Amino acid sequence: MADFFPQFLQQIINGLTLGSIYALIAIGYTMVYGIIGMINFAHGEIYMIGAYVGMVMITALGLFGLHTIPLVLLLTLTVSILVTSAYGWTVERVAYRPLRGSPRLVPLISAIGMSIFLQNYVQLGQGARDVSMQPLIAGGWRFGAEGGFQVYLSYMQVLIAVVTVVFMTGLTLFIGRSRLGRACRACAEDRAMANLLGIDTDRVISLTFVLGAALAAVAGVLVGLYYGLVNPFIGFVAGLKAFTAAVLGGIGSIPGAMLGGVVLGLTESFTSAYLSTEYKDVVAFSLLVLVLLFRPTGLLGKPDVEKV
Amino acid sequence: MKNVTRGFLSAAIGVVMAGAAGLAQAADTIKIAIVGPITGPVAQYGDMQMAGAKMAVEQINAKGGVNGMKLEAITMDDVCEPKQAVAVANKVVNDGIKFVVGHLCSGSTQPASKIYEDEGILMITPAATNPAITEQGYKMVFRTIGLDSQQGPAAGDYIVAEAKPKLMAIIHDKQQYGQGVAEEVKKTVEKAGIKVALFEGVNKGQTDFSALITKLKKQGVDFVYYGGYHPELGLILRQAREQGFEAKFMGPEGVGNKDISAIAGPASEGLLVTLPADFSQDPANAELVKAFKAKNQDPTGPFVMPAYAAVQIIADTIAKTKSTDPKVLAKTIRESTYQTPIGKVAFQDNGDLKEFQFVVFTWHADATKTPAK
Repeated sequence: MADFFPQFLQQIINGLTLGSIYALIAIGYTMVYGIIGMINFAHGEIYMIGAYVGMVMITALGLFGLHTIPLVLLLTLTVSILVTSAYGWTVERVAYRPLRGSPRLVPLISAIGMSIFLQNYVQLGQGARDVSMQPLIAGGWRFGAEGGFQVYLSYMQVLIAVVTVVFMTGLTLFIGRSRLGRACRACAEDRAMANLLGIDTDRVISLTFVLGAALAAVAGVLVGLYYGLVNPFIGFVAGLKAFTAAVLGGIGSIPGAMLGGVVLGLTESFTSAYLSTEYKDVVAFSLLVLVLLFRPTGLLGKPDVEKV
Repeated sequence: MKNVTRGFLSAAIGVVMAGAAGLAQAADTIKIAIVGPITGPVAQYGDMQMAGAKMAVEQINAKGGVNGMKLEAITMDDVCEPKQAVAVANKVVNDGIKFVVGHLCSGSTQPASKIYEDEGILMITPAATNPAITEQGYKMVFRTIGLDSQQGPAAGDYIVAEAKPKLMAIIHDKQQYGQGVAEEVKKTVEKAGIKVALFEGVNKGQTDFSALITKLKKQGVDFVYYGGYHPELGLILRQAREQGFEAKFMGPEGVGNKDISAIAGPASEGLLVTLPADFSQDPANAELVKAFKAKNQDPTGPFVMPAYAAVQIIADTIAKTKSTDPKVLAKTIRESTYQTPIGKVAFQDNGDLKEFQFVVFTWHADATKTPAK
């Protein structure tokens, strides 16, 4: 049993890595819900587009002979965020804005349609096959005695954690401190009132979609780097998981989405480790049901006031 | 009522279109539907099948066709999804096509085969290896490839005789093909007294296997058999190498294509794969291999030659019986032997080959393979 602790630690590392990705995507769901009270089902596809743009950028930069890793990362992240945000903005403009004020079910169907459209669009443009890439950042640290169980922490996992923390902090500061952030919070509390007080709510809604898409792009780039395999269908499962994370944490709440992502990642990891990989989704969703039974608003959700 | 009107309408359109098509192309082509994944995560295998089948159609047509009629290959995409496979099978029926080479994945072949059987369409799959497909007592269903119940034991025997693991794990993707072959391997190795520490399914399309790998590493597993396709195994290999988990891996022919090296990179070196014998090495196929190379196609893929053989068997039987009635053909196929690129071929009553060999190969990081000793 001497090996128990290092294994436990390894599973925590595995779970946190997975959870960070879920959390980044979950933000997009939760922010949009917080402000306009709809589920943007096309968000998973936005993440998938982020991953594709990242993959294409890294390959292109490699072709141009650029191999300085920090520079490649920075450029890739920037371009992917820009392109993906543009998609997020366009989706809102095309599929949701014209439907504002219509019954809730209508934009929901529009979102599903958008999701199918984007999936097929990428399939046509990039091919329906898997696109794979060799790791850009290989290696890591090993802890523990030779011969015993060694805990392995790869540079990539550290990068995922660091990037996630940086962007999450940035977002929290932006929402909490900036003028636009305050407008966001005002819209989340009462959109009609905010509008009366002179806030351009349409602009705030656009901003929400752009921010969500930007974080999804970050998740996409990280996934492309970490797993090295992207196809037009990854958005569906990832979107479903992230949505679960958002609900688990309390939909509408940003810290909730972060917590939900991490909890979900850890749950999956521990179920795989100590029960069976086959049950990981069963346990994850049972947990969701349990939490919702006792806290219908999720872990950090507030009953009445919907936060951004 | 709406449906009835629509039915009339489409029937009317259908008649007009059929009339036009009949004028455009002489009625004496023999249509063969080649069905497999043209898109989707396992489309690489579809390529092999399409390349083999189309080459056969081309070469037969170059020699003047069959009984003065040309063959016409019609490719269809089932994405290796059971639902899509049924839709494609219905389309084959509606288009009046009598012969099918496909499908490719066992999971999609199974539901489609029922439709072909009911509609009297001759189906030869060059790739689906699940035993259940020929256990249904169907008369119209054949295959030019071996079975998981042969492949599993072939892999199992190799593990017992050569790999001799201390503790092994078997992972599968919960699909008809992957789990089927994994169970056969399990039976074989357990009979020989090898302990299987873990028999677990993963999800198709899953990307993170780090928790599973940590678990395998903890239990001290030194040999892992994976039943499934290459995208998942590629990621498992890559993440295993990253975590410093150094067991030997083995998989069925579903993992044996170039993409596993593209995904796993150096981690794919030394992977063991059971594949049909490499027919492109057979001196009798030298001409054919040259023809593939001339078109820049790879003749070494496991399903290329079986697909070629499937088309050839249909053509040969039509020539022999002077009939295009699938039922007559199915009866004749059971009674005949054929000389094909996969060797001398004869069928059992259930539609399986009388003989088919799986060979163990060692996979290399540059996506080549050599026979394992």
